Order: sequence, then C-alpha cells, then structure tokens
Amino acid sequence: MSESMTADAPSEGQEETSASDVVVETRNLSKVYRDFWGRQKVNALKALDLEVKQGEIFGLLGPNGSGKSTTIKLLLGLLFPTSGQALVFNKDASDVSKNERIGYLPEESYLYKFLNASETLDFYGRLFDMPADVRRDRVNELISMVGLEGARRRQLKEYSKGMTRRVGLAQALINDPELILLDEPTTGLDPIGTREMKDLIIKLREQGKTVLMCSHLLADVQDVCDRIAILHRGELKELGRVDSLLKVREVTQLQAQGLSKEAEEEIRAIVAKDGGELLSMENPTTTLEELFLNIVTDSEARPGRRAPSDD
Amino acid sequence: MTLENAIPNFADWIFDALRFLPIFIVVFAAAGFFIGFLVSAVRRGPVEGFYAVAQVIGSAVVDILNTSIRRTLAMAMLAVQESIRRKVLVAFAVFVVVLLFAGWYLDVKSDNPGRLYLSFVLTSSNYLVLILALFLSTFSLPTDIKNRTIYTIVTKPVRGTEIILGRIIGFMTVGTAILVAMCLISYMFVVRGLNHEHQVDGEIQLTSTELSPDGSLQGLTTYDAHHRHTITMFDDVSGETDVVMGHHHAVEKVGDELVVGPPQGALAARVVRRGSLRFKDRSGKPGAGVNVGHEWAYRSYIEGGTLAAAVWTFDGMTADRYPDGFNLELNLRVFRTHKGNIEKGILGSITIRNPNTGARIRSSEPISFAAKEFSIDRQFIPRELKAIDSDGTVSDVDLFEDLTDQGQLEVWIQCSERGQYYGMAEPDVYVLENNGNFAINFMKGFIGIWLQMLMVTTFGVGFSTFLSGPVGMLATLSTIVVGLFRQFIIDLVSGTLEGGGPIEALIRVLTQANLQVDLDIGRFPTLVVKFLDARFLDALNVITVSLPDYAGFSTTEFVATGFNIEPSLLAMQVIRAFTYFVFVTIIGYFFLKTREVAA
Repeated sequence: MSESMTADAPSEGQEETSASDVVVETRNLSKVYRDFWGRQKVNALKALDLEVKQGEIFGLLGPNGSGKSTTIKLLLGLLFPTSGQALVFNKDASDVSKNERIGYLPEESYLYKFLNASETLDFYGRLFDMPADVRRDRVNELISMVGLEGARRRQLKEYSKGMTRRVGLAQALINDPELILLDEPTTGLDPIGTREMKDLIIKLREQGKTVLMCSHLLADVQDVCDRIAILHRGELKELGRVDSLLKVREVTQLQAQGLSKEAEEEIRAIVAKDGGELLSMENPTTTLEELFLNIVTDSEARPGRRAPSDD
Repeated sequence: MTLENAIPNFADWIFDALRFLPIFIVVFAAAGFFIGFLVSAVRRGPVEGFYAVAQVIGSAVVDILNTSIRRTLAMAMLAVQESIRRKVLVAFAVFVVVLLFAGWYLDVKSDNPGRLYLSFVLTSSNYLVLILALFLSTFSLPTDIKNRTIYTIVTKPVRGTEIILGRIIGFMTVGTAILVAMCLISYMFVVRGLNHEHQVDGEIQLTSTELSPDGSLQGLTTYDAHHRHTITMFDDVSGETDVVMGHHHAVEKVGDELVVGPPQGALAARVVRRGSLRFKDRSGKPGAGVNVGHEWAYRSYIEGGTLAAAVWTFDGMTADRYPDGFNLELNLRVFRTHKGNIEKGILGSITIRNPNTGARIRSSEPISFAAKEFSIDRQFIPRELKAIDSDGTVSDVDLFEDLTDQGQLEVWIQCSERGQYYGMAEPDVYVLENNGNFAINFMKGFIGIWLQMLMVTTFGVGFSTFLSGPVGMLATLSTIVVGLFRQFIIDLVSGTLEGGGPIEALIRVLTQANLQVDLDIGRFPTLVVKFLDARFLDALNVITVSLPDYAGFSTTEFVATGFNIEPSLLAMQVIRAFTYFVFVTIIGYFFLKTREVAA
C-alpha cells in the first residue's frame, strides 16, 4: 500500500447538507490544560473543525492522549474551550437545554453503585423531568432491551463490568435522544456483547439518530462508522467516509467468470482495449488498522497539522 | 439566665433588615460581578471576559427560571440514599449510647438537675447534628466529581441550582429525621430522668420559724433521688414542699394520708415581660451600678443600706393582663463584704413606683424580701397595695389605677443591709406572664439546632462546589468556629480586648511584654505593626460579621433555664438562617456553573 494513499484520499460520497442537518459542529475548537498558576501544561486540542450530520455514525479515533475524550467533554460542556466554539444542535455546549436531546455513555459507567438498575434508570428519568408513568414504561423497556430483567433489583456494585456497561447504555437512552455520544462503547464487553452493541448502534442510525463515538477498537469503528476523524496529539489528521478512506486507489481489482485459460491470456489485451464482461472492477480496501498505523507513524515522523480530506 | 445581648424588638429589627437588604443585594451583586469579571479578564482579556460574565449571568437567570421541582427532589432523594449508604445512622447510635451512659457522668446531686439534663441533651444533640451535617454536606459533591458520577448528571438537563438545592434538601431531610428522633428520645430521657416520688417522712408538726413566727404545719419528705423537701401545709388538706433541686411537689390529703405529688417546676417555659434597667447611685442620683471586681462585667451591683437602687421600667402593665396582680421573678446575685448570717438571705425591698413624676401617689410601701442566691425567687405583687401619700399618710391603693402611668410602672429594688451588695443585669428581674408549654419550648430549642444544621449544610455544600472534600470541611468548620467566637473577634477588632493584632501579639509573646504596656519597639515600627494589624483585623471583621452567629442561634440556655423562647427571637433566627441559605446557594451556584467538572 502506498503511503500517499492515505494522505491523498479524494473526497467521495460528499453530500450537500443544509445547516439544520448539522448536529454537532466545532469551530476552531482548542483546549489547553493549565496548572494552578495558569501555566500551560498540555495543548490537548488544536483548532479542531468538525461537523457531524444528522443520521450518521461518526467515529473519533486516535491513540491515547490524542484529544478524543477532550473533544467529547467539550461537546458535553464538561470542559470549557480555551478558544473556538463547540456547538450541539446549534447551541453552545455550555447550554444545559441541549442535554434534553443528548444521550451520553461515558468511558466507564460512572453510576451510583448503591442504586439498583431500576432505581438508576428511574433517577435519570427524573432528571429529564419525565412523569412517573412515562418513566416506568421507559425503564421497563430499556431494561429488557439491555437484557437485565433478572438483575434489575440488584445493586450496581454487584454487577459485572459488562452488566454495568449495559445499565450505562440504558441510562444514555432514557430520554430517547437524537444524538448519542459514546465514549469507548465496546470496552469491557465480551464478543457477544460487542456484537450486540454494534448492532444496536446501527439500529439507532436506522431510527434516524446521530451517533458520535470514540474508540481505540478499530475493527468496531470500521464495522459501524459512516465517517471518521483521526486525531493525533490534539490535531485532526484525517477526516472522511470510512469506505473512501480505506480505498486503495492506485489498484484495480477485476473479477470475472466463464473464461478459459486462453481467454485469461487474452483478457489483458481485451481489458487494455476496454472490452469483455466485467463482473466487478474496484479498488481493494485496506484495513482501518493499517490506515491508522500509517497516519500515526507518519504524523510522528513529520509533526504538524495536515489538511484532512474534506468529507 | 444570662442574656448578654438584649433581644431586639422584632418590628425594629425587620425594619432595619429590610432597609439594609437592597443595599446588601446591590453590593453583593456588584462584588460578584466585579470578581467574576476580574477572573475572567485575566483568563480571556477584558472584552471577552466581560462577554463571558454577561453570558454566565444570563444563563443563571434561565437556570433559575427553569429549576424543576422533580429534578431537585430526584437529586434530594439521591442525597438521602447516599447518606444512608454512608451510614449516617451511626451518629444517631452514638447519641443513644451517650444517653444510655449519661448516668455515669451527670452529677446526680446537682442543684438543678433539670437544667443539667436539658443542657446535656441539647448540647450533645447540637454538636452531633452539626458534625453530621458537616461531613455529609462537604464530601458529597467532591466525591461525585472525583468518581466522575457527576458526568452522568451534568450531561442531563440538570441545572446547577438543582444540584445544590437537591443536596441541601436531601441532607436536611436526613438531618431532620435524626434530629426529630433525638428530640423525642431526649424529651423522654429528661422527663423520666427527673421524675421521682417522695413520701411524707414522719409527722407533720406545728413549727415556728423566723419567717412565719405565728407557726405553720411543717414536715419532711423521705430522702429520694438524692434529696428531701420540707413540707409546709396551707391547711389540713393541701400544702406544698419547698424548692430543692429546682422543683417542688404539691402535697394533698387523699383519704387519711398525705400524698406527695409529682415534681413540678423543673421543666418550665416561663413567658416573661422584660423591662429596661437603670441604676441610682448611693446618693439616689441617676448613675451606674458598682463593679465588685468581677472581670465579667455582666452584672452591676448596688450597695445595701444606701439610696442605691436598681430600677426596672415595665411597659404594658394593665389590669386586663394581670387582674389580681403580677408575679415578679428575681434572680439576684449577692456580694457580701462581711459574712453576716450565712444561713440567711440578704434582706432587701421591692417598691412599685409610678413613673409619672406629677402623680398623686408616687410609690408603694416597700415590700421586704430575702434574696435567694443562685435560684429564682418569685414575689407576688398583689393588686391592692399600701402606699404613702405625698403628705405621708398610708393608704390602700390599686396597683393599676394609682401606680401605673399608661401601662408603665417602675420596680425599684434596694438592698437593705449595710455593707452587702445586690448584683443584677437587665434580664434578672422580669414579670412572669405565665408558664408556657415546656414540650413546645423544648421543640423550639431543637428548631434552633435545626437552623444551625441548615446553615452548616448550606455552607458545606456551598464550599464543596469549588473545594475538595477535606478542604471544604475545614472551611465549613472555620465558619462554625468563627461563628461561635464571634463576640471575641468583634471585641478584638473593636479594641475592647487588649493585645492588638497577630503581629503585635507575636511581638508581645517574644518580648514577654504584657498586654497593658505600650509596645517598646520604636515609634516607626510600632506604627507599621499597628497599621498591618489593623488591616488584618478589618479583614477578619468583615469575614466575621458576614458569617452566621452560631452562638446567637443557640437557644439551649433558654430551654435549660426554663425560659420560653420568644416567637420574635425564633422568627429572627429563621429569617437569618434562610437569608444565609439563599445567598450561599447563589454563590455556590455560580462556582459550580463556572467550574469545569471534568478538569
């Protein structure tokens, strides 16, 4: 695979979107962590420009400390930007009212361990000012969706990591949100759990919801995400549709059937002259893992901001 | 009861408070805006800083308007569950254990066990509840931030107001439940602890004493609960015991036997009418009382056998209120310059006077009494009194018709024995209106504790919005300490207490100079030291007067000494506490709002 492939990935699949379709937008978003005396400690995010459109699954990728979590925290208003803007539903991230339409599953399920699953979901339902009957129905629905009917009366401190994760997911969906932010959604899940989580994410998209997730687990991202952004050391390195990013453009793959050995010999000539029945003709794809490692290696060799592809 | 600061008139107080409130709000808001702007300007520059502050204030208004009761109560319920998980009931268990073993260290032979028991239960409830409130309120929010459980809260449409109010309400719910339980148990403990029975011991005999030379039927009760009483019979069927250990018993003939009733008077809630006190010196001219050398200048003394007098003026003394006359209670101190008859009280006189100098009848005949030291003496002033006319003739007069002027009358107290002194402060002599309900008064005492708990909780939650758990706890504890030593700090600042500020005090310690001598470090250094100390004390003064006066919220003394907690006092306390609650909540809200919870 050529190195230039990743850098020069052409824009493809770009759709014209109106402003109302943009669910999440960051403009020149930067975050500098400072110590008590105001001295700069880490430049965690450098001038990030992103748009997440309605109905897509957007993945934020990057090694540890690349600024993925910082971005999500800035979008949630858990952190305040040093400069730039983070907009969610066209509202500033510090605006509490945006939370009405958001669901958030944190990296680890930061839940109250002394509550049981029902109490947890009921509590979060109250925070959305949901009336008691709506809350009860929604809690029952979510508990059966995440498969915790048998354990709904047990305190969360007795839960396994996977079970806690499911309650965490259920609380993120309690308000039937339009935008769901998932921080490492598959960590701590077994292969079946991971599969279920991925199916659920796709199902959410089918319901017209927007998902913004960040993950280290590249295979998961490759499986579910429509578009991804790759961050490294606070800088955006790559942005685009997963299928186009992974396409190896210099190479064309041909698949055909019903050809004799002679014909195969001929085909080169025929193809050279544009002829024959081509069953498929496409660029092979690389894996996301390779793409990711290439970007990281390249970025470390040549630090600095690189213009990402534009979709 | 000692009442160092007179309780202000409620109407005056609220008028002053309401007049001061708008000024305070403006200063408070301006200071808040200025400090916010300063911090913001340092971070973002003046223009953006100003914009940021304006934005925060704008969203604060939105947040306050959108504060939902359901969300607040959800946060409150979480706080309750959290408290139970953190085993707050241990505090209650400690209290029960303390009461169970109270008998080991409470003095059973105390002169006034009622007072002792009440002080004990109220003080222990007070401190336990404050410690509980301190721990609950200061650690909750920092723990949430540390455990990041706050992430799942603030990413919901929860307002800062709801997070703070929810916590305060939740912890107050837990605290209130515990306090109610403590109140009930304390009440039973006190009532049962003071209850005892006596029988008549031996015969009731005709005796003659100096105070009743014509003789009366007297006897003794049996020795129970570490004391015995002397019985005096009014007639053949009823009588009364003397007051021992703060109580007395009624004695009645049931059938052929004399039965001593249950103890009375130990648990009282006197509703009193207070007067204002002025002194006449030994030549009868207006002046001050004498200091007999006590460092605590609370009580002043009048000299016996001279014209010195303590004069109380009472308002609202009308025949409708006191149709038969009134009860005057005296809690006088005695200072003896010679021993005299130590068995006997020092004699004095009470005179009722008309404050109107032009009245036909100026004064009643003196009513003599013997001062009971260390206990409250009750004198009944009857409606019909003897008076001396201006021409010297003695006649019968009516208390209200002849000796009051528009409901005002004066009570003059003089000491009759030469060389002996009576000591008194304004709250020591009062008109007893009636005996209020002790149980209700006891509850009012607990309301005082509840208000203190509210303030500690509010300050605790307020500090925890920007400080870590242990630091927030120390800060809250500091407010309590400053609140309890408020008078000391104010005295220090005002110069009433000698010794100067911290630098001067340090120099005095190092140079072993006592508090009265001038600083001997040269003129210029003295000026510098005094200047720096004065600035420090000014800052301390501002902090002290801004923080709640916890000592002033304690009404333990009222309940323990058997005085009704006046509704106006309670109302003032409630208003004060809720004012702190509102302002500290607002400050906490802004701290939380401008804090990066994920930082």
